[in-house]
Amino acid sequence: MKRRTFVAASAAAAGSSLIGIDALAETLTTRSGAPSDELNVGVIGVGSRGQYLMQLFLRLPDVRIAALCDVYEPRFAEGREITGEETAVYRDYRRMLDAERELDAVIVASPLSFHREHMVGALEHGLHVYGEKAMGHTVADCNAIVRAAQESGGQFQTGLQYRYAPWYREAIERIRGGEIGRVTHVYGYWHRNYNWRRPVPDPSLERLINWRLYKEYSGGLLAELGSHQIDIANWIFQEIPTSVIGTGAITFYHDGRETFDNVQAVFTYPSGGTHVFSSIIGNHNVGYQVNVYGTGGSVKLTLEDGAFYYEPARANSAVPQALIERGVHTSATLSTSGDMPYRGPGLPIVIPEHEAGNPNFLAVASFVQSVRSGTRPVADEQVGWNSAVAVALGNEAIRGARYVEFADHLGSKE
Amino acid sequence: MPAPSIRYLVLSITLLIGGIVPSRGHASPDSLYHETRSSMGTTVAIYLYASTRARAAELFEVAFQEIDRVEEALSTYRPTSEISRINGTAAREPVVTDPEVFGLLERALDYSRLTGGAFDITVGTLVRSWGFFRNDGHYPSPDELATARAKVGWRQVALDRATRTVRFLTPGIELELGGIGKGFALDRAALILRRHGVTAALLGAGQSSYYAIGAPPDAEGWRVVIPDPRDPDRALSTVWLRDRSLSTSGNAQKFFELDGRRYSHIIDPRTGEPATGTLRVTVTARTAEQGDVLSTALFVLGPERAARLVEQYPEVAALLVTDHDHRDPVALAWAEPLAPWRR
Repeated sequence: MKRRTFVAASAAAAGSSLIGIDALAETLTTRSGAPSDELNVGVIGVGSRGQYLMQLFLRLPDVRIAALCDVYEPRFAEGREITGEETAVYRDYRRMLDAERELDAVIVASPLSFHREHMVGALEHGLHVYGEKAMGHTVADCNAIVRAAQESGGQFQTGLQYRYAPWYREAIERIRGGEIGRVTHVYGYWHRNYNWRRPVPDPSLERLINWRLYKEYSGGLLAELGSHQIDIANWIFQEIPTSVIGTGAITFYHDGRETFDNVQAVFTYPSGGTHVFSSIIGNHNVGYQVNVYGTGGSVKLTLEDGAFYYEPARANSAVPQALIERGVHTSATLSTSGDMPYRGPGLPIVIPEHEAGNPNFLAVASFVQSVRSGTRPVADEQVGWNSAVAVALGNEAIRGARYVEFADHLGSKE
Repeated sequence: MPAPSIRYLVLSITLLIGGIVPSRGHASPDSLYHETRSSMGTTVAIYLYASTRARAAELFEVAFQEIDRVEEALSTYRPTSEISRINGTAAREPVVTDPEVFGLLERALDYSRLTGGAFDITVGTLVRSWGFFRNDGHYPSPDELATARAKVGWRQVALDRATRTVRFLTPGIELELGGIGKGFALDRAALILRRHGVTAALLGAGQSSYYAIGAPPDAEGWRVVIPDPRDPDRALSTVWLRDRSLSTSGNAQKFFELDGRRYSHIIDPRTGEPATGTLRVTVTARTAEQGDVLSTALFVLGPERAARLVEQYPEVAALLVTDHDHRDPVALAWAEPLAPWRR
């Protein structure tokens, strides 16, 4: 596909693109069979996430993974196993971008600290970018990526795939409709019980393979896990935080890592909303969940589904006459029932079978649709920036165990 | 007689693990570690040798993550899986899928061709129908069977390699990869463990599929006991599994009776009815995928046709126990000694 030929189509179709399986019908079925219609995708960072994304792109008609780039050579064989062909491979992304003239888009799934270089490089080559989250390591990185995206004329989609999850979209539409009253709090959790390490074949490769554990490359749990919950809170409140307080520690795994194995951050939103985020990797109990609390009810969202809960009605509609005749009894007993957690199943969010879909796949298919039609992705560079700067400033707060005002750091962007 | 063969198989492996301790001063100081997780509708167990507990934990994590990845793509219990997406769309139009899923579907149809339809990834609809009939306590009428059978048939799945598309030629066809997917997932997890330098491991899905990488120190393989289905305290044969798979089809407890006749849970896709005549089949094969497929196919085919099929696979051996007490187990290319069959 010649990348400059379809950009012209974008003006007419401005506005956010439709998502969901039905809306993607054209992207999922159109097959001209002509090589000129093939979308050629390059990959920068062929690790576990990059490989998974490649597989999703290859489930779409007329999409080809045309080139792979990684600094760790075993990834080439693994990547070619996924493409099923002798895909061109590069150790230097600049060589790939210069040599592969037919590329239309690039997946960037490299370690966080390299996102800016790789995403800006690809955008400056006029390529569309599917860029993994978090968008950038620092606020300056995020600003540079947004600027490059806006100047390039190409599409940028951030890897916050829950924007495309049918049960998230349904929940947020109903929350906006007032179903749980005024939303005041979001409690986001991502708890796991394993050490977050990948096996390393040789100690010299520790920082390359386990880059998530080192501050130079990684934003730790808040970036790799919390960026989703932060995005969901931004989506619900329709704004970004003004301040954050944070804390964290290495509590479980004293193995030379630098990033904390548990972090807690509390974000405050301009309209008064609060997002409390916690990630612990030494206990799995709560797993992944986002709890949205409103004055009239709650929503619990997980990686597979969601449910609504409604607050009990408090106002008594009728005065029981017996009370007047018999009076009340007094005792020292404190009733606990009013403060017990709700233990029922809630009202599940039901997604019709024909609208169900893997959020990652829907995100990738939507990206390809945006590229083909010139429509703006739902999870565009602004969505990516909103989450990533909150991650970067949340990490400031966590590392210093202090209070951070966003206005002190975001001046240059606004 | 109830024959809890499956429980016995687990017991044998547990005892084996307890019995092997790396000798002091051995070139390999690795210790044996073990983890089980619920996955693929069953319990997946991995036993492996590693230098430290931390190293073992990392290896378990990558192996189980790989199994989760495969399950996420193949499970029909998940509406978000790739197979669910194909099932929902392929009767309407060709569906493009990725090379891994496409390759697995190609191999599944090849197996259908080679087994004359005894293995069939479209049989799920019939299996569900029989489950329903069974719960209802009646034998399905010819009409009911015909309706279910019309939605089954591997020939109704058209694959186009050039476009990597899947298309169903008849509405109502559904893919169900349980008979090949568990084995495939074990093979993938084994591949990942090998890539990370593991040289001795045993992976098991339920008690029906095993794959062995290498052997425990000083052992010729991972010991797997195949019990006599009529007497679980008695071993019918013992396999020392090494860089091979072992799969068992047919669970002596899972037969059901209707109108005084015994039926297995394995449906013969060719007739649409439960396979009869075989009690249990154990296969050793090159991969867990191959073992899972062939154990099911041999069960359906019965001893005579099974013998012809096994001849086509030099790397495969099989042990069939028939439903007739007077008949000896049928050993096909089976190298391990067999205990005498008691009539």
